[in-house]
Amino acid sequence: MDILNDIILPCLYTFIASIAFGVQFNIKFHHIIAAGIGGVISQLLFSVLELEGSNEMICYFAAACAISIYSEILARRLKVPVNMYLVISIIPLVPGGYMYKAMITLIGGDIQLFAEKCVHALSIAGSIAMGVFAVSSLVRLYRVLTKKAI
Amino acid sequence: MIMTTNELLTVTSTIGGLLIEYGAEIYRVEDSINRIAAAYGYNNSDEGRKVEVFAVPACLIITIDSLSGNPMTRQRRITRRETNLDRVDKLNNLSRFICTEKPDFKTIMGFINQIKNRRVYSFPVQVLSYAVVAATFALFFGGGLNEAIVAGVIGVIIRLISEGVAKVKPSVFFEGLICSMAAATMAVLVSKTGFTDGFDTVIIGSLMTLVPGITLTNCMRDFIAGDFLAGLYTLTEALLIAVGMATGAASAITLFTSF
Repeated sequence: MDILNDIILPCLYTFIASIAFGVQFNIKFHHIIAAGIGGVISQLLFSVLELEGSNEMICYFAAACAISIYSEILARRLKVPVNMYLVISIIPLVPGGYMYKAMITLIGGDIQLFAEKCVHALSIAGSIAMGVFAVSSLVRLYRVLTKKAI
Repeated sequence: MIMTTNELLTVTSTIGGLLIEYGAEIYRVEDSINRIAAAYGYNNSDEGRKVEVFAVPACLIITIDSLSGNPMTRQRRITRRETNLDRVDKLNNLSRFICTEKPDFKTIMGFINQIKNRRVYSFPVQVLSYAVVAATFALFFGGGLNEAIVAGVIGVIIRLISEGVAKVKPSVFFEGLICSMAAATMAVLVSKTGFTDGFDTVIIGSLMTLVPGITLTNCMRDFIAGDFLAGLYTLTEALLIAVGMATGAASAITLFTSF
């Protein structure tokens, strides 16, 4: 097990990329740092689960849940839109690599492999969305039960 | 402070329109407008003081029953969108402030103008951010230092191209197609010189700058909030961008690897 290459470096890259993405969305600097830490938390969870040998979909689901919980709590505390943190921290999870591989197999002309890769990328996107769905729905439920304003 | 129906419509439609433009979720837009209207006595509970809001990412319709009993409608078509979450945050604070303090019309419009003119990151900083995103994602997807450098340069070029293309107001599909085609072309050509070890990580890294993050997140949050029409709208947009990117990259790779 290679801790540097499997855990530390991906987290570092995620943090830097998150900060740069925050600039694109015109978020103020201290919020970007907070969002970057959220990205690192999810990446850390993802890497650890992956090393443990968990199912890939579970890894993505758990990472998306972690991001959502972090964003919801922080947004409530600092009274800012949840989006501000969620947007940035979720981008490193986007299965860009898998989509690219699907596209490459399509060029190669292997339709069966293309379908397989597409389903793979889509199911990853789906499990990320489900993670966000699950947490956000629970938060909405909590808000209704406690009758708190946004 | 009392406000005429017309002024209230102006305030709510301006705030709502700006929120959509800057990339807020639809439920936030509808909720803000409902709260502001409620603060001035239009709370949907008594007949004749009702307010109805309908928003999708392209359009905003607000109807308020005026004091004379006739309903008044203001509609706003949103064609231009630029993501600026800092201004969304400030507009959110403003609507919270309006609900507690109930300021008069002039004060509110003054605040809105202040928010509209808030500073954004300068163009060089934005270009640099594209370079950093592309370079770090090239490393993230397993590239080496050479790949990161090439991806960073391509990131800068992507930003410059999208700035140039934006002048002709292209469709989202076309913009993704042009940018990714340019990125893939450069990546393949550089890999032919032997400076980089293949072009996969370079292309993935530089294309990550084009990922429609705000569209994807808003899509999920709109679906959760039950705004299915808005969710479908943003989902379609995200899919079109993705298809555009794939088409551009695929055609460039096929073209330049074949000879």
